[in-house]
Amino acid sequence: MSDVKISGLHKTFGQVHVLKGIDLEIPAGEFTVLVGPSGCGKSTLLRTIAGLEEVEQGNILIAGVNVNTLRPRDRNIAMVFQNYALYPYLNVFENIAFGLRARKMPDSEVRSRVHFAAEMLGITGLLDRLPRELSGGQRQRVAIGRAIVRKAQLFLFDEPLSNLDAQLRDEMRGEIKRLHQDLGITMIYVTHDQIEAMTLADKIVLMRGGVIEQMGAPLTIYERPANRFVAGFLGSPKMNFILGDVINRGSSHAMLLTDGETIPLPQRSGGWGQSIVLGIRPQHLERSEPITSVNEVRLKRTIEIVQPTGSRTYITINIGGAQCIAETESMEIGRPGELIELSFDLSHAVFFDPISGAALV
Amino acid sequence: MALNRRLNLFGRYILACCLLVFFVFPIYWLFIISFKTPDEIFHFPPVWYPKNIQFANFSVLFKDGDAISVLNSLILAGTSTVIAMVFGTMCAYSLVRFKTGGENFAVWVISQRLMPPIAIIFPIFLLYVYLGWVDTYGGLIILYTAFNLPYVIWMMRGYIEDIPLELEESALVDGCSRWRVLWKVVFPMARTGLFATAVFTFVFAWNEFIFALVLTRTEVVTYTVQVTHYFGGQSNFWAKIAAMSALGTVPVFITVSLLQRFLVRGISMGAVKG
Amino acid sequence: MTYAPRAKHESTVSRQSTRMPDHNFRYWIIAPSVFLLLLIGLFPLIYSLVVSFQQITMTDYDTSFAGLDNYLHLFEDARLWQSIAHTLVITVIALPLELLFGLAMAHLFLEKMPGRQIFISLIVLPTVISPVVAGATWRLLFDQRYGPINQVISWLAGHEVVLLWNITPHLVYPAILICEIWQWTPFMFLILLAALSNVDKSLTEAAELDGAGFWRIFFKIVLPAIWPVMAIAILIRGVDLFKIFDVIWALTSGGPGTMTETVSIYTYVQGFQQFETSYTAAIAFLIVGLMSMVVIWAIRRMGLAK
Repeated sequence: MSDVKISGLHKTFGQVHVLKGIDLEIPAGEFTVLVGPSGCGKSTLLRTIAGLEEVEQGNILIAGVNVNTLRPRDRNIAMVFQNYALYPYLNVFENIAFGLRARKMPDSEVRSRVHFAAEMLGITGLLDRLPRELSGGQRQRVAIGRAIVRKAQLFLFDEPLSNLDAQLRDEMRGEIKRLHQDLGITMIYVTHDQIEAMTLADKIVLMRGGVIEQMGAPLTIYERPANRFVAGFLGSPKMNFILGDVINRGSSHAMLLTDGETIPLPQRSGGWGQSIVLGIRPQHLERSEPITSVNEVRLKRTIEIVQPTGSRTYITINIGGAQCIAETESMEIGRPGELIELSFDLSHAVFFDPISGAALV
Repeated sequence: MALNRRLNLFGRYILACCLLVFFVFPIYWLFIISFKTPDEIFHFPPVWYPKNIQFANFSVLFKDGDAISVLNSLILAGTSTVIAMVFGTMCAYSLVRFKTGGENFAVWVISQRLMPPIAIIFPIFLLYVYLGWVDTYGGLIILYTAFNLPYVIWMMRGYIEDIPLELEESALVDGCSRWRVLWKVVFPMARTGLFATAVFTFVFAWNEFIFALVLTRTEVVTYTVQVTHYFGGQSNFWAKIAAMSALGTVPVFITVSLLQRFLVRGISMGAVKG
Repeated sequence: MTYAPRAKHESTVSRQSTRMPDHNFRYWIIAPSVFLLLLIGLFPLIYSLVVSFQQITMTDYDTSFAGLDNYLHLFEDARLWQSIAHTLVITVIALPLELLFGLAMAHLFLEKMPGRQIFISLIVLPTVISPVVAGATWRLLFDQRYGPINQVISWLAGHEVVLLWNITPHLVYPAILICEIWQWTPFMFLILLAALSNVDKSLTEAAELDGAGFWRIFFKIVLPAIWPVMAIAILIRGVDLFKIFDVIWALTSGGPGTMTETVSIYTYVQGFQQFETSYTAAIAFLIVGLMSMVVIWAIRRMGLAK
């Protein structure tokens, strides 16, 4: 168990500036997920921590030791790759034992460690097989087993589940979470999938364009996104964004939408500026019930599209020129073309600066 | 329609058989002469097949010691192939993984394969005379190794590119040195490519003529040079030409037919991935 | 004890802070290859250049500076230009014929037929034979009296025909070309067969449904698809033909007279039989220089190194 400290990390590939000054602290034993759209630098950051990319500028400290010039094998880390990276010419046992053999570990110790890991992952019966005789999920277990036997101070995962089908992915996600609870090792996990990020992480690090946009506990980021990008990235379906002008109504302010609707704005010390973007998550856009809160906003709109998923139903409506989705639990919500009355609680709304995208609190 | 197609197939067989005769008959003739008695060889009109298969033409080669040239070919081609494979694969790995030298270096390497041997051998000959390396195993092995390296590098580059990078990175993280990755991951992953390339490299060195012609005298004469020794001004030693050629050709036929599925990739320098 | 290892340590770290210890591994593993490649890739060029400015012959080890004498002599050397002409004649006749025959044969064997693989395996055998053995084989076949070729021609003609294949001036080139085409048509055939089998069938079938004929499909769809591979095959064979030595050495040794002397044969004669050392160096330098330009241009053009 070790902590990781990264400061001022830069990386360029030719003309492309991939990491633009990353500062990050990962406490020992925490599960950190690096998440962001493809090309955001999350994989490069992970690979730099692993030592597969050289540090150009900045420092990486693992357990207080600067590892900038340490080779990957000297960093005492284990890594699980997207395509499992199993050696096709070795059987499962030797695949799991590969790292131990490289470190010249005595045979008896290799044996006991491999069997321990195999039991933990439920693949004891597969030890004699070759990788090509395994299913995708089994291969992923072997790849994880290879990391477990190393007893490394740090686990790195590079999109380990993206090659699995949806059902297996859910299963393996649970498995990895359990693994973290059982082993208590510091883990850094890269994914582009926001559900994996939300479900697995103690801490989410959300990246875009080589910089960290926001980091923190999943629910904190989810509820208090630092900017419009973060708000839009986490959550599915995406948060709805509605643009409007700020108008003055005596002592208070309100938002004027392009379709003429007005929405009252809460008090803000710094004022609101010219225009504003309102963000509201689909699940907070509800079918109207009798008034429950003073902060409630009510809207009457035409249903455009209805998408039932079984447990919940997505309704597409137009608010102020923006296609918005409302998520309801009920089945009977009407058909396209019919009117529906929706409401949301202003306390769930987030406001953003339309130009910088920063959240206005 | 069905009849038409059958005729078509019949026609194709006729054509295929004509081609077969054209391409295989010369080889047949070469081999059959090596089994003939002198009477049959120098018989007019020509004898199309020998009455008895006899091996006197071969045993003469062994008795006179000429067959040692096949052994020389084996030593030169074998040793240079092993060295070229080891060095060439290492170099190819560096080209693929680290882009060492960039595109210019790669172009330079492959262009060496296409240079005319005669223009290279002349200055090399002068150097070897100076160093006393003419007619030595070492001298020829070095030259064969150098001359085959571009081919090995080129072919292995293609095979190494097919190895998933993750396998190597995983090994690096798991505790392997760069050398161990090369030995424990790259070589096993590329083993079919290594094998196929080695065989073709061997065949090229085995069949080589001009370097051996210039650089051998008596000690390390190869079978290709030995064959030309039997050409005379007036009379040719037909039986020896045929027998020596057959001795040198049979191993090539055997190895190449075992490697049918790599043949296209091997001779097209990787342009076609079979 | 007070010393300053810390400061020293820090300075070394900061100097190479971006490099891992095995950074130079990439250079270690190419070193042996580069060293050997310089022996055939750079040394001959430099050494030829140096010697070509001297006046070394068999009888006279004269290393005094000769200026451009040897290079000027190149232009007056009719035998050299003839040998270049001979080489080009062989190349421009053999290369298109090998290509066309190879392509036709590839079409013949493109569709499945029983025993196809056996036919292919046997037909490609000439390609893997040593060229010098191929030349020797054809020398046996072409023999005026005991060779089977004159015999077959006699049968066809109905009376005895004696053709002196490697002596009669108008027969030596056909003899060389037949041998070359015999040995290397299978090379073209095999590569083009593989290329043709890789052409996307749905494209040709769609064109067929649109009513395009065989030639139209070939030029509009098949040829563009196989061109990258075909270009490499042409490059390899073109360069090989320009270097031609072994076959001619075994078949005619350049004769009769100097009638079939190619660039390689002529260079060999100058260097190893007449020992015009400095002059041969000039020829070698010229050849390597010209070939390098052509070859490197072709390789870049085809994007082979990408």
